[in-house]
Amino acid sequence: MTNPYVPLLILLALGFGFAALSVGTSLVVGPKRYNRAKAEAYECGIQPTPRAQGGGRVPIKYFLTAMLFIIFDVESVFLYPFAVAFNQLGLFALVEMVLFIITVFVAYAYVWKRGGLEWD
Amino acid sequence: MSALPAFEAVAVDYWAVAPMLVVVAGALLGVLVEAFAPRESRHSAQVALTVGTLVAAFGVLVWRSVNHHSVTFGGSVAVDGPALFLQGALLVMSSVAVLVMAERFGGVGGDAFTPMGASTPGSSQEAAAAKAGYATSEVFPLTLFAVFGMMIFVSANDLITMFVGLEVLSLPLYVMTGLARRRRLLSQEAALKYFLLGAFSSAFFLFGAALIYGFAGSTDLAKIQSAIAQGTTGMDGLLVPGVLLLIIGLLFKVGAVPFHMWTPDAYQGAPTPVTGFMAACTKVAAFGAILRLVYVGVEGSRWDWRLGIAAIAILTMVVGAVLSVTQTDVKRLLAYSSIAHAGFILVGVLAFSKAAVSGVMFYLVAYGFATIAAFAIISMVRQGGSEASHLSQWAGLGKRHPVVAAVFSLLLLAFAGIPLTSGFTAKFAAFAPAVTSGGTAGVLMVIVGVLASAVTAYVYVRIIVLMYFTAAPEAGEGEEVVALMPSIGTTVAITVGVLATILLGIWPGWALDLAGRAAQFML
Amino acid sequence: MGDAAVTIGTGEQVMFWILAPIAVMASLGLVFARKAVHAALGMALTMIILGVFYIAQGADFLGVIQIFVYTGAVMMLFLFVIMLIGVDASDSLIETLKGQRWAAGLLVLGLGGILVSAVGSVTYGLSDGVAQTNTSKGNVPAMAELIFGRYVWVFEVTSALLITAALGAMVLAHRERLGKGPNQREWSRRRFEKGENLAGLPVPGVYARHNAVDTPALLPDGSISELSVSRVLSAREQTRSPLADLEAEDAIRAEIESGSER
Repeated sequence: MTNPYVPLLILLALGFGFAALSVGTSLVVGPKRYNRAKAEAYECGIQPTPRAQGGGRVPIKYFLTAMLFIIFDVESVFLYPFAVAFNQLGLFALVEMVLFIITVFVAYAYVWKRGGLEWD
Repeated sequence: MSALPAFEAVAVDYWAVAPMLVVVAGALLGVLVEAFAPRESRHSAQVALTVGTLVAAFGVLVWRSVNHHSVTFGGSVAVDGPALFLQGALLVMSSVAVLVMAERFGGVGGDAFTPMGASTPGSSQEAAAAKAGYATSEVFPLTLFAVFGMMIFVSANDLITMFVGLEVLSLPLYVMTGLARRRRLLSQEAALKYFLLGAFSSAFFLFGAALIYGFAGSTDLAKIQSAIAQGTTGMDGLLVPGVLLLIIGLLFKVGAVPFHMWTPDAYQGAPTPVTGFMAACTKVAAFGAILRLVYVGVEGSRWDWRLGIAAIAILTMVVGAVLSVTQTDVKRLLAYSSIAHAGFILVGVLAFSKAAVSGVMFYLVAYGFATIAAFAIISMVRQGGSEASHLSQWAGLGKRHPVVAAVFSLLLLAFAGIPLTSGFTAKFAAFAPAVTSGGTAGVLMVIVGVLASAVTAYVYVRIIVLMYFTAAPEAGEGEEVVALMPSIGTTVAITVGVLATILLGIWPGWALDLAGRAAQFML
Repeated sequence: MGDAAVTIGTGEQVMFWILAPIAVMASLGLVFARKAVHAALGMALTMIILGVFYIAQGADFLGVIQIFVYTGAVMMLFLFVIMLIGVDASDSLIETLKGQRWAAGLLVLGLGGILVSAVGSVTYGLSDGVAQTNTSKGNVPAMAELIFGRYVWVFEVTSALLITAALGAMVLAHRERLGKGPNQREWSRRRFEKGENLAGLPVPGVYARHNAVDTPALLPDGSISELSVSRVLSAREQTRSPLADLEAEDAIRAEIESGSER
């Protein structure tokens, strides 16, 4: 019996191989004509700031987004086995899952109504 | 696949868990109120909803759940005598604590809570938010979630349930600790410390649970018990470290030495009503879980670790009592006093008898009511608009506010364990089983406990002397220390605390009887 | 599969001896790295390797979740937090409590010693529970039966945890707008009431040569219009001087003039 992960490993190897091949080929084949403008980050001519505003700190708003993402990520962890075993589990599990989703959506409603998703 | 047994949904005794369902439903409604109700009506709506939920849950518990002693959800939840007793106590105490949290002192939102938790402390935005009538009424659903977690905690019959309960009760408390209106930096620091050490203690608990799972092959307390009784070959090395790590994780929550480091900071920084809630209810929940763990789960191995926990109990009493002498802040002082009380309760826990269970439960109730009332009074005493928590500010309070000072003195006497207060009965109920069934270690612990009580009594009497027999320092106009006029909610809360303290001191029979009848764990 | 779990295959052994030292080094990096980002990356590496171990031991679901949730989501949250406090932030080397490090090290060694000696004395039986489950029920369905069976209460309670997380994040991190912000109509009314720059601010750029935002416009008298470039750019001294363009223009004009004389 072959290991079920062998195809995955082959795919992984293929992925790495393809990336290496593409980058390598362009290194060899591509024309190289450098000038100063090409090396700049923005070709419109603006220089990137040496140091971001606020010492490189991002606004706290991102944290909220990240937190919401985690919540739905964790929810999906439960959804996955539920979906896989749905046929065996029957009505009881469906009810429980719906209850779970409703409860999590209460949090979503709160965040939405209080402007946690607005970006201004 | 057909040869396999089909999936069967677990049998659920809904009446047994109905109080918890009521609480979580109330919490969800509270979140929806936060989302949809207009700002002006949120505070009143939340207070009504929260108190209503807690009272309704208590009603359901007394009406139905008491007749539904059962181990349900496939053994992961045990609703038995101790669970129901502690859940009932939690519901009553938390509704009293919510009344204190709702205190507005004429403002728009809860007086103890910041108008906007995300604004920079001391910034113009904070002032503008206060002026615009913003309030953090989220504390009420958060409180309900914490109570929900505590109820899960005391009825958890499986280490996984216990862990999730621990997290559900802790997370809201971490958030609420950081929401004080005054001295916000201190409050935020306290929240961070509480969170970090709490997360650390959760890790201990998980590590212990993993070792126990390795030993017993299950996280079910009943299975752990039978695994200990049978004894397994070769795996015994996992048992004692596992048990110790589990207990350490739980002792963090009650603030036993040397896991008490967060207690003074968190108690001082948290909004005062939250401190009261935390001190009373978290202790009930954590000791409930400890009782179930050591009496149901790992009781069979107690000779291997009992002395270690006894050492912790002695250390807790001594350190709590001695350090409370040096405190100059009332909230920190009560924090160290709560540490000492945790030690006293541990003495009862380690007696391993049914009487000990009822004694510990009685102690938790007696201490809880007095604590909530004491912190309610601290939240009333003000100087120049902020809480007068420094001891020197309390000098001469007895002359200007005799009632407030008298009530506080009574509560302090209860903490000290003076006869005719609940504290005395409670100490007796917790210490007596330790003498009768605790062996030499039990007697030793009781001796240390009595000595530590004497030390703490000195501290409390010193405060009483300060309030009555020391002249207040001269203060300019508007700078005197005053006790604000409490609203009806706070008054009710303090009255309940005082009545409980007197009633359980003078006529404790019925409560001891109730606790005694509820002291039988189920498997 | 039943045999595979009892005797550890060569492939698994090779993988273990390669990945385990890397995981240990990464977790040491997590503890000792001075920069928060390096610590976080060390942690990510440790968690990925743990996920690989879980999969190798037959706990497929756990392994995938480990990578999916922890390495994917929780690590992302960590990195967000690091970005919030500033990527450059690093540990302070000042010890606030003297001798704390030594005491902590000693206690850690003590605890570690006790745990290792206790856990090390155990003789582990060979368990093939996972392999059995995998062949009879399948890994994920067996998990589902536990989640929706015995642990259904815990599963539902988890949602309370998630809501608390959302509430906490909102309470501690979300600044609600105090009052309504002005809309476009409001803004234009204000501008006309003030009576300044009624037609809007002058746009940057000179002729067709440069319309980049960093090149100020020139007024009719040839002076530079400060209003035409963003204040942020001027403060950072990132504006270009349009005078070079003027020189070019002069050159062209001279060329045209000389051409007409010819």
